[in-house]
Amino acid sequence: MEFNSVHDILDFAISKEQEAHDLYVHLAEIVSRPELKKTFGEFAQMELGHRTRLEKIKAGELPGLPDTVVQDLKLSDFLVDVSPHANMDYQDAILFAMKAEKRAYDLYIALGQATSDAGVRQVFDGLAQEELKHKQFFEAEYDDVILEGN
Amino acid sequence: MTTTETAELRRRVQLWFGPQHPGITGNMSVQAWLEGDTLTAGVTHVGYLHRGFEKLMERRRYIQSFPIVCRICVPEPDTNEYLLAAGLDELSGLAAEVPERGRWIRTLVLEMSRLQMNLMTLGGHIGAMAMGAAPNWLIAMRDFVLDRFEELTGGRIYHMFITYGGVRRDLPEGFAERMEADLEAIEEKLPLVDNVIFDSSVFRKRAIGVGVVPEEWVDEMSLSGPIVRAMGIPRDVRKDFPYEKYPELDFEVVTTTGSDIYARAWVRRQEIAQSIDLIRQILRKMPEGPYCAKLPNMLTWTIPPGQTYVRAEATRGEMGYYVVTDGSDKVRRVHVRAPSYVHGVALLERMIPGTNIADLAPLMVSFQVCPPEMER
Amino acid sequence: MSVKHTLAPFSAWLQAFSKPFTLPDKHGYREGADRYRGWHINDTKKCIGCGSCAEICQNVAIDMVPVDDPVKGDSGLRPRVDYGRCCWCALCVDVCPSGSLGMSNEYIWVEADADKFRYIPGVDPKPWDNAEKGWRQEEGFDLVDHERVPMPMLDPAERTKTWAEVVIGYSEEEARQEASRCVECGLCVAACPAHMHIPDYIAAIRDGDDIAALNIIYDNNPMPEMCGKVCTRRCEGVCSIGVQGDPLAIRWLKRYVTEQFDDLKDVVHAEVERVGEGKKVAIVGGGPSGVTVAYYLAIRGFDVTIYEALPQLGGATFFGIPKYRFPMPSLEKQVKLLTDSGVKIVTNHRVEKDEMRQLVKDNDAVFIGTGLMKPYGLRAPGEDLPGVMYALDMLRDHHIGKKVDITGKVVVVGGGNVAIDASRVSLRLGAEVTIAYRRRKVDMPADDEEIEDAEAEGVEIIPQAIPLRVEQTGDGRLDFIWGPAEMVQEEEGRRPRPKLIEGVENHMIVDRVIVAIGQGAEHSWMPEEIAEKIADKRGWITVDENGMTAYEGIFAGGDLVNSTADAISAIADGLRAVVGIQKYAGVLPQAEDEGSEPVAIAK
Repeated sequence: MEFNSVHDILDFAISKEQEAHDLYVHLAEIVSRPELKKTFGEFAQMELGHRTRLEKIKAGELPGLPDTVVQDLKLSDFLVDVSPHANMDYQDAILFAMKAEKRAYDLYIALGQATSDAGVRQVFDGLAQEELKHKQFFEAEYDDVILEGN
Repeated sequence: MTTTETAELRRRVQLWFGPQHPGITGNMSVQAWLEGDTLTAGVTHVGYLHRGFEKLMERRRYIQSFPIVCRICVPEPDTNEYLLAAGLDELSGLAAEVPERGRWIRTLVLEMSRLQMNLMTLGGHIGAMAMGAAPNWLIAMRDFVLDRFEELTGGRIYHMFITYGGVRRDLPEGFAERMEADLEAIEEKLPLVDNVIFDSSVFRKRAIGVGVVPEEWVDEMSLSGPIVRAMGIPRDVRKDFPYEKYPELDFEVVTTTGSDIYARAWVRRQEIAQSIDLIRQILRKMPEGPYCAKLPNMLTWTIPPGQTYVRAEATRGEMGYYVVTDGSDKVRRVHVRAPSYVHGVALLERMIPGTNIADLAPLMVSFQVCPPEMER
Repeated sequence: MSVKHTLAPFSAWLQAFSKPFTLPDKHGYREGADRYRGWHINDTKKCIGCGSCAEICQNVAIDMVPVDDPVKGDSGLRPRVDYGRCCWCALCVDVCPSGSLGMSNEYIWVEADADKFRYIPGVDPKPWDNAEKGWRQEEGFDLVDHERVPMPMLDPAERTKTWAEVVIGYSEEEARQEASRCVECGLCVAACPAHMHIPDYIAAIRDGDDIAALNIIYDNNPMPEMCGKVCTRRCEGVCSIGVQGDPLAIRWLKRYVTEQFDDLKDVVHAEVERVGEGKKVAIVGGGPSGVTVAYYLAIRGFDVTIYEALPQLGGATFFGIPKYRFPMPSLEKQVKLLTDSGVKIVTNHRVEKDEMRQLVKDNDAVFIGTGLMKPYGLRAPGEDLPGVMYALDMLRDHHIGKKVDITGKVVVVGGGNVAIDASRVSLRLGAEVTIAYRRRKVDMPADDEEIEDAEAEGVEIIPQAIPLRVEQTGDGRLDFIWGPAEMVQEEEGRRPRPKLIEGVENHMIVDRVIVAIGQGAEHSWMPEEIAEKIADKRGWITVDENGMTAYEGIFAGGDLVNSTADAISAIADGLRAVVGIQKYAGVLPQAEDEGSEPVAIAK
């Protein structure tokens, strides 16, 4: 992949968020548990929110990406992957979402390392931190709700 | 009084001595009739205190009664605290658990209390004769003892310190040394006091042969304390019915003869020396250890039904508590047998006829009347 | 009269030249003694507002008044002292269960306005607030009893050989003595989710009236014997005596009362109006919340039917809690009172979609209390290997009489009550048990006493152990592989989270892995149109202040609704629904509508 400007990168990231949104909308349709439809509907809305945020950054309405380092519980590192299916439960949904955020994070880290342009790398690192933040949100939910007794 | 007697009295000068009078020993008054300078009759009036301690206790939990009883004799509250504690200790079974040190501290407090009360009363003896210097010194000496009370119990007058199962606190660090220093200061001043009281011609003239209580009245009226000891009768609850640590202390009952105001003052003077000696003995013999038994929850403490009479030697005489419990969390009845009731009402009224008006105040002080004991 | 006696009075003049006793400066200040009983001070952060000071004050000089910034969990009240009445006896200081109240050694205070001599120590600022000296509590003199009457228990070595109850129970004398420790502050009432009348029944026990105590208990708890044995007892957590000593054994006292009667029928007298005659209510799920709704509606004349999938009522208290904690006869006794009160019970009956639709149609109200029945998975590689099982399934199978396959060395993953129960049941089935828990021991949601008991019986606990995967060994055993965790604090005030320390792998060769990490809701039995309306994204059900869900006429409670997952919260939910259902059915007596608020509590 070739990125010529920060705008290109952000466009790419925005398209990724849109993809994620579409996937959750799809999942909300296929799952059989009525309450899980709400879960995925909510996740889809969150991805939309991320998209809007990136668009605002692109338009210069928001300051650039943060350079704060987010705490990483690395829960998704050692839990098994989930493939979407109709019988998913809440644990599967959270697990699926945190794995998806982890993939996005890994992608931006890889892209950042692939480039020699320091400015471009900074943008990728920023995006990676954003994804890490999203991952952290799901990992915290997993830690609090699913692993309540552990 | 018969109708004839009352009619007779109406023809004489009537005088109200108190309740506002520097010579009266607290909140009571004496309605007296005069013929010349001589009192021919007197009636005591109480009711100015208006508290009803005994009744108050029937409406309060055991622990709540304990700040009340100290008020039954303001200058010497500890006897009351001890007696309520001793009575309820006995009825509740806590008596077996009062630790040794707790008993020693109780004895110490009782003796300190006797010491400061006798210092004040001795001052009262001469103050009632309108001599000011010695009472000031004696009150100052008493304050030395109150300083020690303050650091031991947290209060100078109302100590509220002896309680069920023992006492409320241990002796503070260095207490014995400070107590000793105070005792020495008191001892140093006492000869001076002796000089202006017992050697003074004024005091001797007004005290010797004045207010003589006949010996036949002792058993007839249940007299006790310095009044009987001033007749040469060695009657003292601390010896006759020993309590707390008195059996382990070395002392003789002070007696003298004469049965007049002078003799009673002399007994008190000797008992000051006795208390000083006893305090030294107590501080020397006191063992280490806990000072109070493990108490049950004081908000719900109930005591099985029972009754008992406990007694102790106050500076005024035998003080006794008749305590009745009914299994609830409040006392059913407390009756306070207080010496002032006998000495300040019955004995005083009997002594008044024939007394010179100027001798009434010294007479009352020599009986050491404490009015709250009459209207408990 | 001699010359000596005549001259003696004049010797007083000599004193004119000696050092005076009195203070030389009339404005001089003399400090009060170290333990002087002066003006009050109060550490309001330590004060819990229990009111024992006001209770012991024989002059009624202390009032408990509301303050602006109370500490969470206390009464929200602080003592205000009226010095027109105070006699400085300091009993308030000596009784203070929290040890917050003291007296400074200050004794001088001049004020023109007499009303000023009434203030809230620690709240109304005073110059002596930080006084170091003055009367304080001292060790060796207590006006309250800090020592709990010890509960007789089976010897740990004996316990694992039998299913007999570990806790033996108080004797009459022990119970009366323990009850006498209560100061009746009522903080426990506010802490109890069901707001049980704790000081009242403790007082009844103390006074020897067990029947009265039982009836006070049954006023708002239909499963007191269960609570008396296994309650999470938040009441004891706030007990004012517990601040400096052992909290009252509230749970054991309740247990004592319920154990005194073999049949409750003629002992419990419900004095309520039968307002619900002719109204019908169906209850899906016979756990504590369902039982609560059933009992309190049945005694009010409602026609109540409980549908329970398992062979016995009790929910998690039946299939989850081991019998050495809560024996069957205790449960059966409580269920019998239910049937005696006219509740119809249908066991071994799982309600399915169509039947649920019918129930909603046929009844005036339907209550759902199906609990959290779906165990969350380990979601680590090797979870599907034979020998890996879920604690919830294992416990249920064991309690309905099925054989459970526990043998050899067992590792239990988790630190909640379910994990502890699974461990102790496994011990009794002859296994050797280790618990692997992701967080620290202090973070374990299980009851402290349960943890202690488990350890005493021989369970080993490995804290900060994150399960990584399970592998099969050559000889058919399991290799449980875990990594150590460090604790990271994300936000102040939240429990720290464990984070894997990478690069270290520990191996534990075991025969069984029992997973007890948490559990979720299962709504597959529920018609979609209902589930859609009432369940949130996590599967939990939200209800309004009457216990009613977003679906009109359907009420819910228990673990599904509250996040605390304990029986007493389920009972509280049930009590809320009892009022809600009467209101919904239009039969709630006016007096009950106003409700009785518990004592004020700071939120």
